[in-house]
Amino acid sequence: MSFWPYFGLKRGIKTTSWPSAKEQSPGITPGRPRSASNASSNATTQLCPTGALHPVETGVSVDLTHCIHCQRCRQGPHALPWEDDVAWTVNAGTALSPLGYRFRRSLHVRYIDAGACGACINEARLLDAPVYNLHRLGIFITASPRDADVLLVAGPITNAMCTAVRKAYSAMPHPKRVVGMGVCAINGGIFGENFACVGGLQKIVPVDLWIPGCPPPPLAILHGLLAVVGRTQCTTAEELP
Amino acid sequence: MLYVLAYLLFASGPLLALLPGRRIPLIFAWITMTAGCVLMIVQGALAVGGPVEQSLIRWALPIIGTFDFVQTPLGGLLILITAVVFATALPFVTRDATVFSTGRRTLFLAIVMLTLVSMIGFFSASTIVSFIFSWELAALAIWGLITFETRHSKPVAAGLLTMALSELGSLVGLASLLLLAGAAGTTQLNGIAAAIPHLSPMLLLITGLLAFFGFGMKAGIVPLNVWLPAAHGTAPRSISPILSGATLNLGLYAFLRIDAPIALHQPDLGLVILASGALTALIGILYALVERDMKRLLAQSSVENMGIATAGIGAGLTFAAYGHPLLGGISMVAGLYHMINHSTFKTLLFLGAGGIEVATGTHNLDQLGGLMRRLPVLGGFFLAGAFAIAALPPFNGFVSEWLLLESLLRVVEIPVVPVRIAFAISGAVLALTSGLALTCFIMLSGSALMGLPRTAQAAGARRAPHSVVIPMGILTLLSLLLGLAATVIIPVLGRLAAPLVGADPTATLVPAFFHNTSRIPRAVQQALDAIGAHVGAVFMPVRSLIVMHLDSTAPVVYAMSAALTGVVLALMLGGVWLVARGLRRRRSSRNILWDAGLARLRPEMTYTATTFVAPVRVIFAGFFHPHIEVEEERQGAFVLTRSYRGVIANISDRAVLSPIIGGAMAIATLLARMHKGRMNTYAGYILLAMVLLLVIVAAGRG
Amino acid sequence: MSTCTQIQDWLGVQTGISSQAVAAQWLQLQIQASRLPELTAALVRDWQAEFATLLVEEEESAVDACLAVYYFFYLPRNGCLLEIQIRVQPGEELPAISETVHAADWHEREAEDLFGLRFTGHPFLGDFVLHDDNWPEGVAPMRHSFDGLHHPKVQKDSDTEWSPPQILREEGAIVFPVGPVWGDFHESGLWMLETPGEQIRYLHTRLFYKYRGVEKIAEGQTLDRALLLVERFSGAAAFAHAWAYCQAVERIGGCKVPARAQDLRLIFAELERIRHHAANIAEISGSTALAVAKAMAQDIVEDLLRLSARLCGHRYFFGVLTPGGLHHDLDPWRQNLLAETLPSLDARLHELEHLLKNSSSFLDRIEEMGTLSPELAQSYGVVGPIARASGRAIDLRLTLPYGAYATLAPTVPIAQEGDGYARLRIFFSEIHISAELILKTLHQISAGPVHTPCPTFEGRALAWVEAPSGATFHWVHCDAAGMVLRLRLGTPGFRNWHAFERAVENAAFQDFPIILATWGLSVAENDR
Ligand code: SF4
Ligand code: SF4
Repeated sequence: MSFWPYFGLKRGIKTTSWPSAKEQSPGITPGRPRSASNASSNATTQLCPTGALHPVETGVSVDLTHCIHCQRCRQGPHALPWEDDVAWTVNAGTALSPLGYRFRRSLHVRYIDAGACGACINEARLLDAPVYNLHRLGIFITASPRDADVLLVAGPITNAMCTAVRKAYSAMPHPKRVVGMGVCAINGGIFGENFACVGGLQKIVPVDLWIPGCPPPPLAILHGLLAVVGRTQCTTAEELP
Repeated sequence: MLYVLAYLLFASGPLLALLPGRRIPLIFAWITMTAGCVLMIVQGALAVGGPVEQSLIRWALPIIGTFDFVQTPLGGLLILITAVVFATALPFVTRDATVFSTGRRTLFLAIVMLTLVSMIGFFSASTIVSFIFSWELAALAIWGLITFETRHSKPVAAGLLTMALSELGSLVGLASLLLLAGAAGTTQLNGIAAAIPHLSPMLLLITGLLAFFGFGMKAGIVPLNVWLPAAHGTAPRSISPILSGATLNLGLYAFLRIDAPIALHQPDLGLVILASGALTALIGILYALVERDMKRLLAQSSVENMGIATAGIGAGLTFAAYGHPLLGGISMVAGLYHMINHSTFKTLLFLGAGGIEVATGTHNLDQLGGLMRRLPVLGGFFLAGAFAIAALPPFNGFVSEWLLLESLLRVVEIPVVPVRIAFAISGAVLALTSGLALTCFIMLSGSALMGLPRTAQAAGARRAPHSVVIPMGILTLLSLLLGLAATVIIPVLGRLAAPLVGADPTATLVPAFFHNTSRIPRAVQQALDAIGAHVGAVFMPVRSLIVMHLDSTAPVVYAMSAALTGVVLALMLGGVWLVARGLRRRRSSRNILWDAGLARLRPEMTYTATTFVAPVRVIFAGFFHPHIEVEEERQGAFVLTRSYRGVIANISDRAVLSPIIGGAMAIATLLARMHKGRMNTYAGYILLAMVLLLVIVAAGRG
Repeated sequence: MSTCTQIQDWLGVQTGISSQAVAAQWLQLQIQASRLPELTAALVRDWQAEFATLLVEEEESAVDACLAVYYFFYLPRNGCLLEIQIRVQPGEELPAISETVHAADWHEREAEDLFGLRFTGHPFLGDFVLHDDNWPEGVAPMRHSFDGLHHPKVQKDSDTEWSPPQILREEGAIVFPVGPVWGDFHESGLWMLETPGEQIRYLHTRLFYKYRGVEKIAEGQTLDRALLLVERFSGAAAFAHAWAYCQAVERIGGCKVPARAQDLRLIFAELERIRHHAANIAEISGSTALAVAKAMAQDIVEDLLRLSARLCGHRYFFGVLTPGGLHHDLDPWRQNLLAETLPSLDARLHELEHLLKNSSSFLDRIEEMGTLSPELAQSYGVVGPIARASGRAIDLRLTLPYGAYATLAPTVPIAQEGDGYARLRIFFSEIHISAELILKTLHQISAGPVHTPCPTFEGRALAWVEAPSGATFHWVHCDAAGMVLRLRLGTPGFRNWHAFERAVENAAFQDFPIILATWGLSVAENDR
């Protein structure tokens, strides 16, 4: 005799009301550095091991597509301000319009692990946790790219996975969109481009959206998937102070 | 007379092969023999429509009695089927005969012709003497065919097994005939039938069972069916179509001829036949499912189909015995129909298997694959055969199986509970069989024709010979015709069934299903019947057994009609096509195969016959009782290879045959001390012993 | 300590091999390649030595590029580490030891692929890290002469006729591929199930679809940047790997980590263990279609992630560790937060454990499922919870204590069955033990700084950590300028995936994902 449904009901509703309401539970996102009009811009930019910080006339700008969340620029005298939000999605440049009305409540996603570390995968796995519950937003994970509208790829795109990513992309029906999640997918992240990693999804297939972060928290991933259908808006990759 | 002409042609065919030359004499021989077959087709067709009895030969032989041959419509039907099977198989037979020397090819063709001739004789035998004589002659000829290629020892063993079982069956059947003849005081089959109402039920049951199991052996009825796949699987590839398509019918006809009159007075016999048929069907298809050798698989499936036909006959006889000759007629028609169908599609499939063997050099399913690309025409016909045998419309297998299952439902008309239970179980078993048959033939055609070629042989398949492909085309057409023109064929079969069950189901109107049940208001019934009648009048110009009555003026539809199905199916397909067309996007795109992102999908990774039917193997593990040996080759902690060898022993082998063979072997060794002869001389001895027995009986009567 | 002298004596007397103690509990010995199989076999047989890792280093100075090969063993009973060194001349072959020390099997295959080092007597070399269909024959990427920036092009005409390995001899059997892209959120890898249908007779795991060449790309980078790599190659156990790496760097630099930093490291490491195991439990529940249990576990995982983010700024402990200590301290408020939150999280896990253990349909699906017998576990030298579920009482926190574990040893749960249920129980037990450990440490946490500057010298060192999934051995070799010359990541995933092949034998197809979940292995950790 199974009482599981009862246990389930007993726990009540856990799901966040984001995106209709703001979500500010502490720790739901690691946050990210924001550009600042900092006097010692050079000292600050030197903190960053990946070159995500650029000195500009007005201060320091942050290139989010290069920030790997190492927290080096978070402490000390030259620290940058930190912002707890999840609207991280940026446009990757294919300039295709959002999928639009028909997909707003029925978006099928095929996830591909192209060399991601456990963190990106774990955040993606949490998408169907009760807190985030991607199904309520009409987003579904499918097993075959044949049924998928969106290809969600994480990791620095290892050479061994190139074929799989290409095949999955071409097996998808039109219209299709590609989203790269994690800094790794954007440019190889800390792994960069080397003999084993292609370092950048756009070198393999055309990419529509990036979800930066290392790893992007579940809400940021959801934000990206909603941006595919035009339910959320992209932000800019590099914000000037 | 056509018979004389045909027999002359049959005799001269092999003789023509004696002429010098490699191909030309065989072509002549083929033309001659085919001409003979065509004559017999015509003759068979004439007989089907002809008088109830037409005497051919009447010889009063000294001592053993009358040696008569009579042409009957039922016999004519079997002659017709046999001749068609031979006619379509002969091109392949003569093609494969080219490899033999002049003498051997003549012998080969002679044995083939002897098989045909003795079968025709058997289908027109009307006394015990001619019956047994033709039976034995056919058995001898079949044995000669199976063992013709004696290069390997396996066919010899298979041939011997066939012979031994055939003789065992013959002896049992003969015993029943002798008992009947003794009790009835005549060797005329018709005479015996006439005397049956006066014989004791016990004797009837015993003789009926003996005849059924004895002669049924030849059709692969349980428990003695292991010989069948062994023999058919190892026979020369050009002979397999004949063996399965034609010779199996010998057994069906034999027990039908003897048991039909008995069963009308002994209801239990019909039930036994029905149950055995259903069981045979299930066992046959289960073993077919675990075969990887195409020929053995097809042979096992023949067991299944014989079981279905037998079940139809059994159900028909039971209905008739319980006073429902019309219902009995329907089942009987289903049984006969299935026999015809089996002959067409099994010949077709065996020809296909032979063609595949010619093209690839193998008939092991696990070594084939992807043949549809290399052999599109043969593959297409083979697929049609698989559709037919898997009972998929619009092919013929559907008609007979559906009709049979539907007629079994009518057991509600018989008020005896055990009978109802027996019917219900048999029906369930047959339904399960159909399902498994579908799996089996998806497996067969899938693993041979679809996917990737698994071996170099399959990848480099050569062209299939015309001698296979063209007859396959003809048979495909036949299967389709038999499927679509059911309403034309059923009345013909109804007429043939009439003497067996006592009524022609299509000549008389049969009460509708649920008719006069108090649970359905009369008005509703009438309304339904009226609608049905209207539909029937629109769609069924030919009166068939699907037509039933409301009252004598308004026929109504109650059952499946193949023609109706055809129309409905066509309408549905058309509808789907229209809808699909309407919904279709402007652009359609062809996309790559999604193989989970592998660099390349390898043939080793695609399903084989074995893996496809694995669920069946697992579900029925208790039945198959496989014996598995595991061996491991290691190097320190490394496992280098691991071999699993599984042996599935046939259930009748385990339960029945092993003890019998054990006993027989003991006797055989005893006899071997006395005689040191070849096995076929023993066969001759047995034939002689039969004749002697007949003499004794005849003398005793005189 | 005493056994190190014992084994030193034994080595000298029985084998005539001299050894030097380089540190307390650390013996170093150089031997001839020919003596290797016999010596290692004796170590494993007579001393129950555990194979730690195998690492190869190309000699920097040598003109003809000799290879230095290090075999690390440790004696779990007494905590003595053995380092066996062999110098391999170009063209020379090494005798394979994996026939008897089977745990070295994959290590030898890896060394063969990455360094072109040949092993005699190994039956399955080739197509391992570098896939035949994607990598030209004979190119060894870990050699210094290899340019780590570019992928060597595979010649198009040598078209890649890779075919799956088959050891099964059975009529009609096939190799059923699972992957590389499969399931919902499964990691990439190819699992080739040899099967006659329905039943899995043998499994070949083909991993390294996610090979990112971390060990290679770390070379020539600064120690700090290499730390970022170590954190990120296996994010699910980022803290553990970073900790092992930092220990190695600290060992080279000879710096002493402040006590408070040691305590905090223990706290974070145990917190990571809890989250790691909770995520495994979520996967196990999900694989058996227990949606409610999965949701409950996921909820806990999410709360743990948020807790981590609140404690140290990152949900996965990225950017927390640094050689010499931690980047930042845990202020009292956060200490409080942890002390208050953790008991309730542990209580929720207790509740989930209770529910699962009383769910008979669930137990039916994991009991006697994916069993790794104690004998096989021993032979394959599995580590971590997998080992402890198969009756192997090994845990580096006890056998080779490091950091704060020297004073605060955890209890180690053991189960004997080696099946899915045993692993589930071990996961739960370790969670509770870790929670206890954290609270205990928090209670008596030392005061003081959390960081001490760590100087860099030329040097090499091995360091280890009991990561959530088991024993981790990282090797760092750097020059005086703080540039990495060789980084070796000896991960538990690499050890356990090796044995996973043997746990699915005779399982049914549909049980494969369940078995996979109960093992809870990370491909990223294996592939590096
Ligand atoms: S957190 Fe991002 S921006 Fe800041 S130093 Fe690290 S990588 Fe650079
Ligand atoms: S982006 Fe960061 S979290 Fe994601 S896979 Fe890359 S290293 Fe891991």
